[in-house]
Amino acid sequence: MSKVPIRLSVNGEAHDLLVEPRKLLSDTLREDLHLTGTHIGCEHGVCGACTVWVDGRPARACLLFAVQIEGHEVTTIEAIAAEGRLSPFQQAMHEEHGLQCGFCTPGIVMTCEAWLREEPTIEETEIRELLSGNLCRCTGYQNIVRAVLKAARRARGNAA
Amino acid sequence: MKPAAFAYHRPRTLDEALALLTAHGEDARPLAGGQSLVPMMNTRLARPAHLIDLNDLGELDFIRERGDTVEIGALTRHRAVERSRALVDACPILPAVVKTIGHHAIRERGTVGGSLALADPAAQWPLLAILLGARIELAGPRGRRALAAAAFFKGVFTTAAAPDELVSAVSFPRLARGEGWGYRALTRRHGDFAIVAAAATATLDASGNIDGLRLALAGGGDPPARAEAVTALRGRAPDATTLAELGRLAAAAAAPRDDAVASAAFRSELIEVLSARAVTDACERARATQ
Amino acid sequence: MNGEGPIGKRLLRKEDFRFLTGSGRYLDDIEAPRALHAAFVRSPYAHARLRHIDLTRARGAPGVVTVVGGAEVNQWTAPLRMAPPIEGLHPVEVATLPTDKVRFQGDPVVCVVATDRYLAEDAAELVDIEYEPLPAVASFDAALAPGAPLVDDALPSNLVSHQTFTAGDPARRFAQADRVIEAVFGQRRQTHLPIETRGALAIWDEGRQHLTYHNPNQVPHPLRSTLAARLRLSESQVTVIVPDIGGGFGQKIALYREELTVAALARHLKRPVRWREDRLENLLASSHAREDAARLRAAVTNTGTVLALDLALMEDFGAYCFYPANYLARVVAMILTGAYNIRDYSFDVQVALTNKCGNGPMRAPMAITSWIIEGTIDKIARELDLDPVEVRRRNMLRASDLPYVTATEQRLEDITPYETMERAIEEVDYAGFKRRQAAARQEGRHLGLGLCVVVESTTYGSAFYKAAGIPGSGHEAAWVKVEPSGAVNASVGLMASGQGYETAFAQVVAAGLGIDPAQVRLHIGNTDVAPYGMGSRGARGGTAGGSALHLAARDVADKVLKIAAQLLNLNTPDQLRLAGGAVERLVGGAWEPTELTFGAIARTAYLDPLRLPAGLEPGLEAHRAYDPPPMTFSNATHVCEVELAPATGVVHILRYVIAEDCGTVLNEMIVEGQQHGATALGIGGALYEALDYDADGQLRNGTLADYLVPTACEIPNFEIIAMHTPNRRNPTGSKGMAEGGVMGAIGAIGNAVNNALAAFGVEATQQPFSPEYLRTLLRGPLLSLSRI
Repeated sequence: MSKVPIRLSVNGEAHDLLVEPRKLLSDTLREDLHLTGTHIGCEHGVCGACTVWVDGRPARACLLFAVQIEGHEVTTIEAIAAEGRLSPFQQAMHEEHGLQCGFCTPGIVMTCEAWLREEPTIEETEIRELLSGNLCRCTGYQNIVRAVLKAARRARGNAA
Repeated sequence: MKPAAFAYHRPRTLDEALALLTAHGEDARPLAGGQSLVPMMNTRLARPAHLIDLNDLGELDFIRERGDTVEIGALTRHRAVERSRALVDACPILPAVVKTIGHHAIRERGTVGGSLALADPAAQWPLLAILLGARIELAGPRGRRALAAAAFFKGVFTTAAAPDELVSAVSFPRLARGEGWGYRALTRRHGDFAIVAAAATATLDASGNIDGLRLALAGGGDPPARAEAVTALRGRAPDATTLAELGRLAAAAAAPRDDAVASAAFRSELIEVLSARAVTDACERARATQ
Repeated sequence: MNGEGPIGKRLLRKEDFRFLTGSGRYLDDIEAPRALHAAFVRSPYAHARLRHIDLTRARGAPGVVTVVGGAEVNQWTAPLRMAPPIEGLHPVEVATLPTDKVRFQGDPVVCVVATDRYLAEDAAELVDIEYEPLPAVASFDAALAPGAPLVDDALPSNLVSHQTFTAGDPARRFAQADRVIEAVFGQRRQTHLPIETRGALAIWDEGRQHLTYHNPNQVPHPLRSTLAARLRLSESQVTVIVPDIGGGFGQKIALYREELTVAALARHLKRPVRWREDRLENLLASSHAREDAARLRAAVTNTGTVLALDLALMEDFGAYCFYPANYLARVVAMILTGAYNIRDYSFDVQVALTNKCGNGPMRAPMAITSWIIEGTIDKIARELDLDPVEVRRRNMLRASDLPYVTATEQRLEDITPYETMERAIEEVDYAGFKRRQAAARQEGRHLGLGLCVVVESTTYGSAFYKAAGIPGSGHEAAWVKVEPSGAVNASVGLMASGQGYETAFAQVVAAGLGIDPAQVRLHIGNTDVAPYGMGSRGARGGTAGGSALHLAARDVADKVLKIAAQLLNLNTPDQLRLAGGAVERLVGGAWEPTELTFGAIARTAYLDPLRLPAGLEPGLEAHRAYDPPPMTFSNATHVCEVELAPATGVVHILRYVIAEDCGTVLNEMIVEGQQHGATALGIGGALYEALDYDADGQLRNGTLADYLVPTACEIPNFEIIAMHTPNRRNPTGSKGMAEGGVMGAIGAIGNAVNNALAAFGVEATQQPFSPEYLRTLLRGPLLSLSRI
């Protein structure tokens, strides 16, 4: 099928692109917009490495076609560290050694950042359930959980 | 894996969507949440020539209370159900069970209508619909019609919807005052499809014996079904003996099959155990409201 | 080393910033203008003759530049020949792409090259291949049954490797024994499943006749050697540049046929060609692992002393040998006696080819060994009605027994299994467990406790590889260069896939030079830059690489101090050291700073060489290589407490404790991360992961939805007790680690579940311990579910 013109809004910037309808959002972000922080681990919606936000809600970019996202706002990992400074959660991940090879990390950051903005409870079982949609083969998850707990406690401390 | 090519359509109203479905017939698939369809397209197991994107149909995204029922539009995301205060009051089993669907990101996109239309025998929405006797509304070129859940789910991944119809809404009766609920599922990992799932509601009479009782089971290669046999235990005290008997009745009445995921024997055992536990939970919740 | 320093410290990682912000540079992030995209057509059959291949329709498809099969690619490349001179191991030869027959479902047959991957996959569907299906063998037993079809027609049978060994006089000991206890163990077929799949980007420079090859690969130099040889290029015509790797675990070591095909195509087309393996391909056709089974017989006295062991071990190796099929024998069987004093030992190891994806080393390829020995010890205890810890105490090596040469001639020294065991069981209140277990049973709960004492073989030196017949040396090489400004660059022949080398090795070099690790930058993965080393595998990185860097840093420090002595008008540098970025001098028993900074000496070395001592050349760099002993050992004890739900067969891990000695630790935080990750991988194999083939060799669960990698809900928190003691045979004192966690998890969970099952009189011998499997065991003795 021939390509169609779409306008995508990604990280607050509008982009005019020409894509086939079947082109996945994950591929469009990486190839057409050169935003390679969103990683591809499975293309069947299981591993979570491709997690981005659509209208501020986490979504698997490999299960979206770029054409259907016209009119919506996409946020990728590249938007999280503002002006080169790590977000509180990214900083907590760094302090707690919550990453090793880093391939699943952007997806985990996008999942956790969204949740941390919603008055999160500081309860390990819920955190592990939150993380269950992001597969990691390196860390065994323990340090990621510690990072989420740390960031949640700090956010609570700030809010208090 | 990259999907095969398709023509993309983005209707703005339900009528436009139905017109497109009619026009393209078997070559068309509707796209709602995409959490089941797009993996199939990426692996080329599904290759619609025409994809009809329903995500702009805001008219189908709603949760409404109407008298004794709650109506949920087909395009309502699982996450909205999970977080709905109205549903926590009117039909708390819905948000609680929907929270077990997959993972967070899946629930942000996946829709009620999509899940019902897919009719995965291990999934939560079909089980809930069967348990509670939901009515599923279909919209088509010939107008709207509503089917009882038991009539809607005809087989594994098979419903009574015609190829040119879309699920437009589902309505659930509210839980009664003092009606408790339970849901127990066995999954290998958190968020996986259930090997067996049991969902139940119960009310207790003034003496604390089982009064109302509904039990539905999923996972076994057939669409979910009510375990009618257990109604024989109405009037009994919900003690360990009764519940054990309930489990045995439910297992005896079910006829699971061997498949690649589990043997019939294992499913049977799970039916026995999970039925008893789901009904136990329902009775305890009923007791707590008394 | 110079003074106290960063060694061991929990320094946060330099790598993190780019990974956290999505600015890492993995293979697919590399832009290559005009690059073409490859897609492979793979056999749907487990075993079939290739009757006819018609590429006409595919070649005419939109965006297609070329479509090739073995007929073309095999002319552009040399076959893989694996023929190490090992008795009992058959030589094998593998063409780049098959032309005669396919040997497993997923075997690559044709490669389509197009302007993008979507179009390449479209064209792949238009490739017409006529297969003549053949009967397939999909299990070890089927492969060795009389009359079984041959997987490799060049071999006399599917038994590709058969080794036996005897030490001491096991036969006599078995005759003498009070009892002979037999135990069986099995693991299903698993796969590494890094979150980043395989891939390659090959760029051929026709003008320079030079190949630049980007590939996520753990062993850049051996890869370059192999790639050059297979392409019939000189090694100096090939540069391997390894980008950030999204996990390896042993899957990213071999030069696979797809990657070689991509490189050959780039040269042929004179355009860059790239390939990304998708996840279905990764599960079906990259590299599998484990699927081994063992029977161990133990000759014992009534008091639990083990007199002799006899091991029968079998592995289902799949269809192709990208590694010598005997490596399993070398490690599993060689280290089976573990922490115990057992000198009469025999083994028989058989490896068979089957019509499934070929096996490769998966983090702790020898993992089953710990479960075999530790599971047998537990069974001995059960059969003799002894305490399992007592049986261990009775047979385990103590400090006074070391150094100890095992029955297979491995030298064990500087290991502390006994100490880790005693500490771990104290931590979990082992003494009180029986009481807790009995009390729980009163409440209808079934607890189990399991130990696994691990002696982990690591860092294999050259002598090991030669004996094993695995091509390559065991050495590692490094260079350290101080630049005129005092900035330090360092390099080693390893390649990271998450181990934090950029941080840990900066710590090693900084320790040697008395400077801040922030000043040291590590450069790895580029074969034009890094020295020739054997790469990252076998838990050797920290020990082999760290030691080479340490030696190079020490050489540089020696030169710095010689220059400093000259500049300070001293006769000898003996009273000088480097600390805090400056030279310090021993004055009256105390170290005092001089005015000489590290940076000032560096500047002098490059820019004012006439001030150097006679005989010293300008510049400040050193290059060293280090060959470790054949084997280096670390050790740990894992203890795991589980709850078994007998009605459903579900196992919950309640508590998990690891007491570990892995020698001098470069960065404690990184080491703990490795322990977590390895143990989690072991839990995956013990409870969840199994590739499910049917009898016709068709893979039934080849997606991530049904190959069950554990999520955060399935992995517990690990309590780690550090009990590190140095290794005297290694310049830094380190011992290698990061695979032992897998070994420990398999054994500890195996033993914990069997401890819970003992009350029902059944034994679980096959991992993963799925709920269905445990229910199958329990169904007999448990007549009524309502009683539990």
